[in-house]
Amino acid sequence: MSSLTANTPARRPFIKSRALRRFLSHKLALIGLIMVLTLTAACFIGPFLLPYDELHIDLMARFAPPGTGGHIFGTDPLGRDIAARLFHAGQISMAVGFAVMIIATTIGSVVGVVSGYYGGKVAAVLMRIVDAFLSFPSVFLLLALAAFIQPGPVMIALIISATSWMEVARIVEAEVKSLRNQDFVQAAHMLGLSNRWIMFRELLPNAIGPIIVAATLTVARAILLEAYISFLGYGIQPPLPSWGNMLNGAQQYLQSAPWLAIIPGLAITIAVTGFNFIGDGLRDAFDSRAQGE
Amino acid sequence: MLRYILSRLGQSLILLLIVSFIGFAVLTLAPGGPLSQFALSPGMTQEQIDKIAAQMGLDRPVVVQYFDWMSNLVVGDWGTSYRDGQSVLHVIGSHLFATLLLMGTATVISVSLGSTIGIFSALKRGSAFDYATTVFAMVALSIPTFWFGLIAIYFFSLNLGWLPAGNMYTVGDGSVLDYASHLIMPAAVLALVDVAIWSRYMRTSTLNVINQDFVRTAKSKGLPRRRVVLKHIVGNSLVPMITLAGLQLPMVLGGALVTETVFTWPGMGRLFLDSLGYSDYPVVMGLLMASAILVLVGNLAADLIVALIDPRIRLD
Amino acid sequence: MMTDEKKNSAHLNRRQTLMMMGAAGAAGLIGPMAIGRDRAFAANADPSGQLVLAFSQEPTVFNPLMPHIEVDEGLYYAVYDTLFDFDPSGEFFPILAAEVPSVANGGITADGLNWSLKLKEGVTWHDGTPFTAEDVKFSLELTMDPDFRSFRSTGYKLMENITVVSPTELTWTMSEPFAPMAAILASTYIVPKHVFEGVADKNDTVLNTAPIGTGPFKFKSRMAGDHIELEANKDYHMDGPFLETLIIKYVPDLNVMYTQFKSGDIDVIGLQYITPDHLEEAETLDGKVVKVAGTATFESIGLNMTRPQFQELAVRQALYAAIDKTSIIDALYYGVPTPTETYMPRQSYYYNESLPTHEFSIEKANAILDEAGWVKGADGIREKDGVKLAFSNSTTAGNHLREQAQQFIQQTFAMIGVQMEIKNFPPAVMWGDYWMNSEFDSVVVGLNTLAGADPDTSDYFMSTMSPALGGSGQNTFAYQNPKVDELLTKGAANFVPEERKAIYEEMQAVMRDDLPFLPMFQYAVIKGWKDDVTGPEPNVNNRIDTWNVRDWKRG
Repeated sequence: MSSLTANTPARRPFIKSRALRRFLSHKLALIGLIMVLTLTAACFIGPFLLPYDELHIDLMARFAPPGTGGHIFGTDPLGRDIAARLFHAGQISMAVGFAVMIIATTIGSVVGVVSGYYGGKVAAVLMRIVDAFLSFPSVFLLLALAAFIQPGPVMIALIISATSWMEVARIVEAEVKSLRNQDFVQAAHMLGLSNRWIMFRELLPNAIGPIIVAATLTVARAILLEAYISFLGYGIQPPLPSWGNMLNGAQQYLQSAPWLAIIPGLAITIAVTGFNFIGDGLRDAFDSRAQGE
Repeated sequence: MLRYILSRLGQSLILLLIVSFIGFAVLTLAPGGPLSQFALSPGMTQEQIDKIAAQMGLDRPVVVQYFDWMSNLVVGDWGTSYRDGQSVLHVIGSHLFATLLLMGTATVISVSLGSTIGIFSALKRGSAFDYATTVFAMVALSIPTFWFGLIAIYFFSLNLGWLPAGNMYTVGDGSVLDYASHLIMPAAVLALVDVAIWSRYMRTSTLNVINQDFVRTAKSKGLPRRRVVLKHIVGNSLVPMITLAGLQLPMVLGGALVTETVFTWPGMGRLFLDSLGYSDYPVVMGLLMASAILVLVGNLAADLIVALIDPRIRLD
Repeated sequence: MMTDEKKNSAHLNRRQTLMMMGAAGAAGLIGPMAIGRDRAFAANADPSGQLVLAFSQEPTVFNPLMPHIEVDEGLYYAVYDTLFDFDPSGEFFPILAAEVPSVANGGITADGLNWSLKLKEGVTWHDGTPFTAEDVKFSLELTMDPDFRSFRSTGYKLMENITVVSPTELTWTMSEPFAPMAAILASTYIVPKHVFEGVADKNDTVLNTAPIGTGPFKFKSRMAGDHIELEANKDYHMDGPFLETLIIKYVPDLNVMYTQFKSGDIDVIGLQYITPDHLEEAETLDGKVVKVAGTATFESIGLNMTRPQFQELAVRQALYAAIDKTSIIDALYYGVPTPTETYMPRQSYYYNESLPTHEFSIEKANAILDEAGWVKGADGIREKDGVKLAFSNSTTAGNHLREQAQQFIQQTFAMIGVQMEIKNFPPAVMWGDYWMNSEFDSVVVGLNTLAGADPDTSDYFMSTMSPALGGSGQNTFAYQNPKVDELLTKGAANFVPEERKAIYEEMQAVMRDDLPFLPMFQYAVIKGWKDDVTGPEPNVNNRIDTWNVRDWKRG
């Protein structure tokens, strides 16, 4: 086995290190990484540093503007500390984002590698399904699904995944299609390796670059979508906070308490921008054509 | 060519079937239903609700309902809205203008602005302008559209009082200026993301063209730079943009839905949310189908146009 | 709230009116109807001006006998007419009827079984066709037509032998005496028979798109998703209308609606009204009249009485004591609604004023539960005989104020060792089978259990009316109390207001003690209009503002 693995294009480990170097020299990517890491740290460590519990209601302290009464980001209509809620919401929103990334990337990779490897009718059917999902404005489909299920973080992650896996599938399919006639695949066939082994052990790892890029962008997209469906009230339900449902209801107090809308929105923007920057950096790092630039 | 179009159309029909069945099953099997909105009405009884459900055929198995709906759809009958008893096509049609107006305006803004930015950043690759627009595009792609809309309302309507916070026009006014003042904010918000996308793609496309032989030839022939840019570079880099326009349709439509909810714009997005809230399945399904058709046709049209104007591409 | 003057005069008028409806003993005491809104064919003043009325939902169902929601009635009052209606004091006044039938005027026999109804002469539909008793007969029968998607059957199914005596007179008999029948007729809009003639599907007539009524305004056009335009019916058979154009505008967002009211784009702010957080500012607006008006809807925590957690009275009492009503009303609702102990609106003649007042006390609640033997487990949740004091609470997702109240209650309940899990759903799910078949543990719900001004609430509280227990009504709390059943049966067959008052007051007292729902407050809404508009007047007996739109004026 090991000898065969060594026979696969030797560029993988090499590219890897070069990709890493390129990524680290990509300024935006680094900024993105810092943004995401800072926000993640804040969301997971912040709650321990704050004197307030995210669920504690204090009607005496409602609508405290940011910076007053020890509330760095102010309080909401029930007098709950927005900072505490924001951090907890961040855990949930990011968890949803990562869950979607894992689910969508897995589905997309499997679909892509299968149709790329077998081609023919299998590919035709699978890729038509991909087109079907792509041809929908996914927001329509998401809302239709979300309106009729029991909304919770798991369900929300599942339905966002259902509309997010197609990109990966296309990328993987294209990549695998171009690889399947190469020597190392022929060799694997002759060695009598199973199709499954060839697809997932030999072909898929070669598409890992584009997959990682797509996965990163998927996190960004999932956070945005979660925010939107929760904003409309079809997503994660209170009292469980998410960035989106913190904005749901903030519209009503836009004039009297604008921080209710501004702060969670900024958190979303920072998180999504961070992931997009990272994705951009990774794309440049993995893209061998960009070498010359 | 004709064979290509036919096979694409055939594939599209299969797609529509898949899409419609998924949508229909989800809506029909879900708890609740179009009659639950009457549950709190004085004098309403379960008996009455059951009776109405039977009259509307809602008590039949999903598959039967689906085939009933589908066979009507095939002959052009999209069904009747549960909410106002009007034909679904009429209901969608009456919201179409608002959405097209919003999408159209936003597209004009984003294509013109986005292309300009993209070409300039490509021509001045590596400059501060290029770098700034790159960062701008990435951030713009990351801002939640609905939130950006809220913030715009906060500043321009609530604080400054310059622009109306919602609706398409003032009842009783409806002049062009009145429409424009209502349109500017939602269109700008909707365009933001697209400007970013267009500028990125235009930049890539222009870079590809710049490095091609005929541009070098044109330059070496000593043609003025302005002419090279306008005639050779811009013209050729716009071709792939047509495909992009087709691919962007679902995005713009989805974006319009989001924007309409924030600005209470009386378009298809608003209709979709209202219909969803009232479980008006025929309209929800109609909108799903209409948007899918729009997207499929848009993609097909984009591919055909590209094939027509670019002799290098042959459709098979 | 209603003005004091109205309150004081309400009592006498109400008694008179209700007696007229058929009180056997009181027959003959009453003179002709006091209210004479009938124009009596005098020339109408020229209608002038335009008025923009805004709703946050869109009226879409234009056939008033088909299933519809509150906001649709906002249009019906402008386009259609009922036979008669309630005024704010609960008194009837005639509209299409020449006089409101009563025992006194011979319209109803003393046993309440035979009705005869006289109609106005010379009324025409908007398309010029004369209005006759045939239209009334048709409308009443349409409600029971098996092929027609009828809004309701309560009351109508008791009507038999509807007979047209002359173009302006008809009679019918009731299969049993049913006091709320008059209230049901007061919300039955009459539709034109002629538009249904030769139509294959009665659910699909011109009324769905371009309604034709006898009302003060004619339907002109609808811009879907935006507004409906109505124009004055210059041949209207009553005083009015005084407006040339009435525009019903749909503004789906309450903030946008308020902003447009502030800026003057909207003349009258209707259904869903001004949100409580804007009240303080709204009252200071120049050139605007802002009024807080009580409605017949009451907010409560409804308990599913089939659940083991709620079987014991002590539990229900403790839960009630653990609700900080004052904070909810004053802080979350800005003091707009009024605390209540019952389902009956305080404006009603049947309202019981002497119910015990709720007192918020965590200590008391804890003491009640301790005494009843509910002890806290390791997780801090009380338990008795294997039943945990843990349950879910549901309401419409997206109703922000209510969701806030819910979370606040969750916190005070936790202080007495009760775990309330919030489980909200979108409206279509919430009020579907989940509500109708009592699949919830508890809900936060706003209910109007009355039909107009009539106090009968059998649909909601009679034990045979629970769908979960095999009934067919709206008793979704699955409440079963033989005493309440007895009082409801007695009340519905009784036509003497004083006697009915005693019955319903007793019933309110029984339910206050029994607590099948934990009453929170009676709804109040904040209405607003420009100060050059006259006419809008709150009416707790109607579901929507336009009940008297015929009287609205500008300038």
